[in-house]
Amino acid sequence: MSWDFLVTQFGVQLGMWWVIVPAILLGIVVGAVPGFSAQNSLIILLPLTLSMNIHAALAFMIALYCATHLGGGIPAILVRIPGTGGAAATTLDGYPMTRKGQAQQALVLSFCASVFGGLIATLATFALLPWLSKAGLYLRSVEMVVVMLFGLTLIAAVAAQDFLKGIIAGLFGLLIGVIGTDHIYNAPRATFGFLELYDGVPLVPALIGLFAISEALVMVETKMIVSREGRERAERMRWSDTVDGLRMSLHRWWHIVWTSFVGLVIGIIPGAGASVAAFVAYQQSRLWSKTPELYGTGIPEGVIAPESANNGVTSGTLVPMMALGVPGGSTAAVMMIVLQYHGIVMGPQLFTSHPQIAYGVFVSMAVAYIFMIFTILPLARYMSRIVLIGTEYLVPVIVLMTIVAAFAGRQYLFDMGLAVVFGVIGYIAHRTNYHVTAMLIGIILGPLFEEYLVRALRLSQGNVAVLFSSTLGNVLWGLLALSLVLPWWRERQHRKAALRR
Amino acid sequence: MESNDDAQGRTALGADLVIPALALAFAAYFFYSVRGLAWEAQANGLLIGSALVVLCLVQVGRIARAVAKRHGRLGFGSLIRPREAFVKRLGIVAISVAFLVAIRWLGLTLSLFLAMAGALYVMGGRTRRHLFWIPLISAAMAYVLFIGVLQSELPPGPVEHLLAPVVAKLHP
Repeated sequence: MSWDFLVTQFGVQLGMWWVIVPAILLGIVVGAVPGFSAQNSLIILLPLTLSMNIHAALAFMIALYCATHLGGGIPAILVRIPGTGGAAATTLDGYPMTRKGQAQQALVLSFCASVFGGLIATLATFALLPWLSKAGLYLRSVEMVVVMLFGLTLIAAVAAQDFLKGIIAGLFGLLIGVIGTDHIYNAPRATFGFLELYDGVPLVPALIGLFAISEALVMVETKMIVSREGRERAERMRWSDTVDGLRMSLHRWWHIVWTSFVGLVIGIIPGAGASVAAFVAYQQSRLWSKTPELYGTGIPEGVIAPESANNGVTSGTLVPMMALGVPGGSTAAVMMIVLQYHGIVMGPQLFTSHPQIAYGVFVSMAVAYIFMIFTILPLARYMSRIVLIGTEYLVPVIVLMTIVAAFAGRQYLFDMGLAVVFGVIGYIAHRTNYHVTAMLIGIILGPLFEEYLVRALRLSQGNVAVLFSSTLGNVLWGLLALSLVLPWWRERQHRKAALRR
Repeated sequence: MESNDDAQGRTALGADLVIPALALAFAAYFFYSVRGLAWEAQANGLLIGSALVVLCLVQVGRIARAVAKRHGRLGFGSLIRPREAFVKRLGIVAISVAFLVAIRWLGLTLSLFLAMAGALYVMGGRTRRHLFWIPLISAAMAYVLFIGVLQSELPPGPVEHLLAPVVAKLHP
């Protein structure tokens, strides 16, 4: 990768301003609506992104993804309702600042931490990417089988509330991913007699059902996504003290830098995501503070840490997707589906076969953050009013428009029905805490997992012991076993402690 | 949200069995569908399916133990409560299915308009203005995006036939 290539990429991405600016505005709105996440809006807009050229589609998705993380902090600060899971930790000090009459300062702190935290993490990822991408080349079929199982286990361990349920969801997804004809003999398996399933389970309807429709079905039971108290608070918002907020941010620049790295590292772990990163960064910030007792009373560091970390996650999440072909989270999974639709295969080869895509993603992210600096400050105040939309309008629009969007991928009416089926399964999984992200990532990894597994088994003429034949593979198996045992042990310790109390 | 616990503080755990039951049924169907195929076509499914069956049985055992110890009961509270929301949910799913059937005859625009109006009504919308304008705007947007711009092969209906000359002029 040369400087010329980098400068050209930067120029190409800057030329995408016509896609990036609307995506930022949309992302901020989407981020501010609780229960409406980046992946949901990407799903609704799938037909649009699938029809764009690959560079424009990527720029759009990346800008929307980053802006959503930023937008989630707005209602978290103003009305104590986090727009996204990643902004939950922001409420701890953001809302007390609002109550102290420092709402605008808190918003500006949040924007600065988000934009600069995201930018710093993106540049760091960009610098490390050549090494990270080469790591993928050392992985053969055997190791890839373990890496995929490891990713799935981590998602279940970190993201799911109940580890066993997370693993069941992941394996269920993996088995659904095997539906269709096998790679060698083209023999159909578990297709329920539908010709439309011979090519495997289409990812777009699975995604739409498991995320958008299921969340809309959960939303049905509330009149509004905010309480009456939250609504009254949202209607009273004012815009002031922006300069003071900027000054506070500048004074705490080092805090933004190191908490963004916390986000980056956590983002690289599949399944960890923005919520975990934000809380870890908040805890670490408090741990190293000279005045930990002030956390929770409305101090700038308490807003900076989670916001900087949850934007640091954005680039980290894409690393396992680009380098290994294993999506680090649900939004990365959506992006992977769009890239696959355009014929781009994720994994270490991506860096040699399509360097403009592999590096372009991160250049695009950096450009999106630069654009955000200029768009967000004047517009933020008005965005918080989005929380005032009633679910009686949101639910029908989400459900029916996403069902129509399910048609876009393959142009089959069958896929629209499949989205409804996955919607019902996703709703049951949602309500009973079987993690839908683990299920979706299982469905995505299913065909790849089979390809690597069968390749490894064929090389060893069907001997399963081949899976334990490499040193790196065995280390990964050990880590996998640890990640299975640790949550169980931790749960046991918690239960014992609770009983003692 | 209503509580998932009964008067004795026992949690309704029956709903937690739905996903394992679906997974077990699917695994059984998968094993049935791959019988007689070459080992390469069976290996992956059998490996994942077997692990899934074991874990589902562990989960069933865990729930059975909780029920036996009277910490839980076999209710479906978390899925069907609150009752009025459950009725709305069923209504939305039924309208979605009806939409999928109707789209073949009425085309995208008209079927989406009717389904959106029905869904808004089910969700509690009673204002005639909302029941007309929201479906109209949604259907118009869907028409412009999917048929006008993306030229999807969604089934045509009366509205699409009526507007076909306009689209043909835009995409000669």
